Amino acid sequence: MEGNDHAIVRAVLAGDKDAYGALVTRHSQNVFRVAFRITGDEADADEVVQEAFLRGYQRLEGFESRSEFGTWIYRIAVNCALNMINKRKVEATYQIGEETDPLQQQVQVADSSAGPERTLLSREIESLQTEAMKHLTATERTAFILRHMEDRSTTEIAAALEIAPNAAKQAVFRAVQKLRRSLAPLRVNP
Amino acid sequence: MKHLNEEELIDYYYGESSSPAAIGDHLRECGECSESYVALERDLAEIKPLPVPQRDAAYGAQVWDAIRSSVAVKEAPQKKLRFGWLSLHPMGSLAAVAIACLLIAAAFFVGRQWEHRGAPPVAVNDGGGEQGRERVVLLVLGDHLDRSERLLVELKHAAPSTEAPLQAEARDLLSANRLYRESVKQAGDPVLAAALDHLGRVLTEVANEPAGLSQARLDELQKEMNTDGLLFEVRVLRSRVQEDVEPKSGTSPVTKGVSI
Repeated sequence: MEGNDHAIVRAVLAGDKDAYGALVTRHSQNVFRVAFRITGDEADADEVVQEAFLRGYQRLEGFESRSEFGTWIYRIAVNCALNMINKRKVEATYQIGEETDPLQQQVQVADSSAGPERTLLSREIESLQTEAMKHLTATERTAFILRHMEDRSTTEIAAALEIAPNAAKQAVFRAVQKLRRSLAPLRVNP
Repeated sequence: MKHLNEEELIDYYYGESSSPAAIGDHLRECGECSESYVALERDLAEIKPLPVPQRDAAYGAQVWDAIRSSVAVKEAPQKKLRFGWLSLHPMGSLAAVAIACLLIAAAFFVGRQWEHRGAPPVAVNDGGGEQGRERVVLLVLGDHLDRSERLLVELKHAAPSTEAPLQAEARDLLSANRLYRESVKQAGDPVLAAALDHLGRVLTEVANEPAGLSQARLDELQKEMNTDGLLFEVRVLRSRVQEDVEPKSGTSPVTKGVSI
């Protein structure tokens, strides 16, 4: 399939613009998945997918035939998603109080009518996790998602984030440490 | 016995330890480390990815449909007439008219936000013909490049700051830049399009910097985005645009450049 990707890239570069559609069709699901995991928002992920393929097309001359197109576009998507969450951070209005008090790291448990204890605990974990993820830097968050959820190696993470492998490794460490600290309240009162 | 630290355990958990066998042996022998590792496993196992919404088989085609009109056919670089993209063919193709309309709309947009200097651009359109339209386009584009140049110079000399005057200006320029970039791309001026593309990326970075611009971030921007190179490009392009305005105007243009 990847060999076929190279042929398509050559066709696009030779002037067959519509051939690029085949690459978009082939890789859009993967790109959407990672975009959604990084941005955490469906609409943002769709935007990232479009932006990534657009950038990919514009930079296609720089695509090296020894790379795989899927890996290459995946990296572009990670970058676009990272830009997106940075942009959203600027725009976001930080809301505290009703749902979560970040200073005390206490999460309000869902309404008691929600059901069995287990469901509550599961929701509490999810809520803590969501909140903890918000407190990671964009790089830590992305590095952790790529490592933990996308099963990417440190080398791949470093390449996608355009940072040194050791910096990628440290970003994952910091993310894990912060997330574990956030989950600690559950350990005290399981 | 030397205990394993958290980093070593995390590395081991993700299968990236440089000596997995030794760590495995240690975990079997050392109760304390084994306990730490079990706690780490339990914590990480609880962090599950959000379920990813499904996208159907037509998703790829939809994405392609959405971006198809924004991309130009790739072709070997051809020699183009200088500013050939601006010369409206006497027969007037639909594309050329559309671009002219788009840029004129941009002129009003920029004019609304930018101080009036000298005669307003629309005033030169008194001929009502293509020459007038061209001149409006050139003036507006010149103005945009002029503002961009000033921002890049300020960026070059900016002191670290948590305030964001540069960011506000960058945001302002960004929307106009997108409009110009798309028009220029469709018109097929690769040099100008590439410069506006580069400018757009720098503006995006500056506009989206969340906590002001630290010295480190300024250095990084200058290094990674080659802002000095971009400044040079913008200057060259501004001169090109200005030269194109001059013969048509018959008056000496207002010099808006800034020196470093």
